[in-house]
Amino acid sequence: MAVRFYRPVFALQLTPALNSFHTPIVGIKSLKLSPASTVNTHFVHLLRRTNKQTYLFNLRLHRLIISSDTKMVETVNGASDLSSEMEVDAFRRLFPLRFHERHLLESVRPDARSLSKARDTSLALGAVASADGSALAKIGSTTMLAAIKMEVMTPANETPDEGCIAIEFHMPAICSPIVRPGRPAEAAPVVSKQLSDTIISSGMIDLKELSLVSGKAAWMAYLDIYCLDADGALFDAALLAAVAAFSHLQIPVVSLNDEGRIVVCSKENEGEKLKNKPVNEEKRKLKLRSIPFGLTCIIHKNFILADPTAEEESIMETLITIVLDSSYQLVSLYKPGGPALAFESIIQDCIALSRQRVKELQTILNEAICDMEVD
Amino acid sequence: MAAKGGAAPATYSPSPTTHKKKRAPIFTDVDWVRPDGRDFHHCRPAFLRTGAVNAASGSAYAEFGNTKVIVSIFGPRESKKAMMYSDIGRLNCNVSYTTFATPIRGQALDNKDISAQLHKSLEGAIMLDTFPKTTVDVFALVLESGGCDLPVVISCASLALADAGIMMYDLVAAVSVSCLGKNLVIDPVSEEENYQDGSLMITCLPSRNEVTQLTITGEWSTPKIHEAMELCLDACSKLGKIMRSCLKESASTSQE
Repeated sequence: MAVRFYRPVFALQLTPALNSFHTPIVGIKSLKLSPASTVNTHFVHLLRRTNKQTYLFNLRLHRLIISSDTKMVETVNGASDLSSEMEVDAFRRLFPLRFHERHLLESVRPDARSLSKARDTSLALGAVASADGSALAKIGSTTMLAAIKMEVMTPANETPDEGCIAIEFHMPAICSPIVRPGRPAEAAPVVSKQLSDTIISSGMIDLKELSLVSGKAAWMAYLDIYCLDADGALFDAALLAAVAAFSHLQIPVVSLNDEGRIVVCSKENEGEKLKNKPVNEEKRKLKLRSIPFGLTCIIHKNFILADPTAEEESIMETLITIVLDSSYQLVSLYKPGGPALAFESIIQDCIALSRQRVKELQTILNEAICDMEVD
Repeated sequence: MAAKGGAAPATYSPSPTTHKKKRAPIFTDVDWVRPDGRDFHHCRPAFLRTGAVNAASGSAYAEFGNTKVIVSIFGPRESKKAMMYSDIGRLNCNVSYTTFATPIRGQALDNKDISAQLHKSLEGAIMLDTFPKTTVDVFALVLESGGCDLPVVISCASLALADAGIMMYDLVAAVSVSCLGKNLVIDPVSEEENYQDGSLMITCLPSRNEVTQLTITGEWSTPKIHEAMELCLDACSKLGKIMRSCLKESASTSQE
């Protein structure tokens, strides 16, 4: 089943009108000649360029189409040819909300998922050799790379037996067309704070395990999460990558040297090893209790869409993020405003979806850990 | 963003790095084994893949040994408002490092310089007049730095540009050679780069046999330079073939 949209005036009008703007449209002439993949990307550029003039133009076009042709949408069976595909793409860009709502009425999403289904998720541990623990998580095309580096610090006076975790979330310019170098994305510090709140408050890690020499030295775990590809549900993917990196973490064996500094016991300084006994030989792995997993849902009218893509997030703005731990206890619930109100029943439904998702994610994490141990 | 309140305490890495310089003389001997067991004139195995980032117009991932790089291309899109009118396109390059790219956290080099070099080596290969008034953004992220970062970034960027459908005269392949005492080592790892006496990098268009950038730093003798350039050009043409086959592969899989 392919949705087909008829809009005969569109192609004729778009070309000359857009060409007169300051920004030239690249590849517009080749639209009909090039193979499907290049058409799509060019077309996306074309419509992504939302300066004021294009926007006003789109509005005018919108009205024109609505008034002249109210019955544009027709479903056809079988594969669609190139021209109809392009028209659908145009409709999607020009009337995003209507495009999505039409899908929602059929209980399906543009990427052929059902409303409550999350995207395919994969996890690989140990992606970064230079880190002590690392993981690459992929939910749909959203990709997160998390890595942990262990450093030594002097613990604070109030907590002489505790280490520390520093969590930072980065959105480098490569991940999305919205982010430019030097101008950090607005979402990055928000996700960063959410992540560190969630990980600390879930009690997944006992900070006492990070202690080395009471009052003298403790581990500081620097966890950095990089978004390599941003396509919605950033927090869920980042949290998955973070917990996976912690489960992959191998704490280096260290000893206290004569100057009172902590040094790694490696093969090179085996001579020293004899006189300085390792301080943490039996504590190479952290014990993770109650691992938190998150699921973000969109609330739009009466619909709940699990694990939204970036496109869905930008069109339907009410998000709700639920974090449950492995025993399905609620760790955090985050609903940052948005036009739709979350009623109790909706929240209950979201939590039910998260329970399912936690089960899925747990299996994925366990499989990833098994895969690593086999290698 | 420390987990505990208050200012983040000063930390240090437990891995010893300061006294490593002492081991340098080993490289001046005629016979020694490279840290990863390669021959002096052997490049690291190259893994290249296009289409790593869906949100970008084009992208590529490159892995040469421990050096792992992602490059995304955005655009051609509207130039910044403050920019003057230009009837040829602009190229905007930026290279950044992850905090865990280097053995010690957050010790990445000054990347302004690398960004500028990336720009210089690419601009000659791109047909800038095909996208007037607009800008193509080339953003690179070094996930892990294992030596030879800049050449890997350059080769990866040209592959990403091709993936984005930006018109180029040819792909840009880049290879560097380090001079360590009497020996020339191609495609050096970080450890070798730290002890090198001099380095030479060529970025070239392999099928046109044109060089877009040649950088020579450190101590060199004229015959050494000749030898190193020949080595580099030979490696570039081989790398160019690998890059071409990677593009062909991704084109044939996308057609299926």
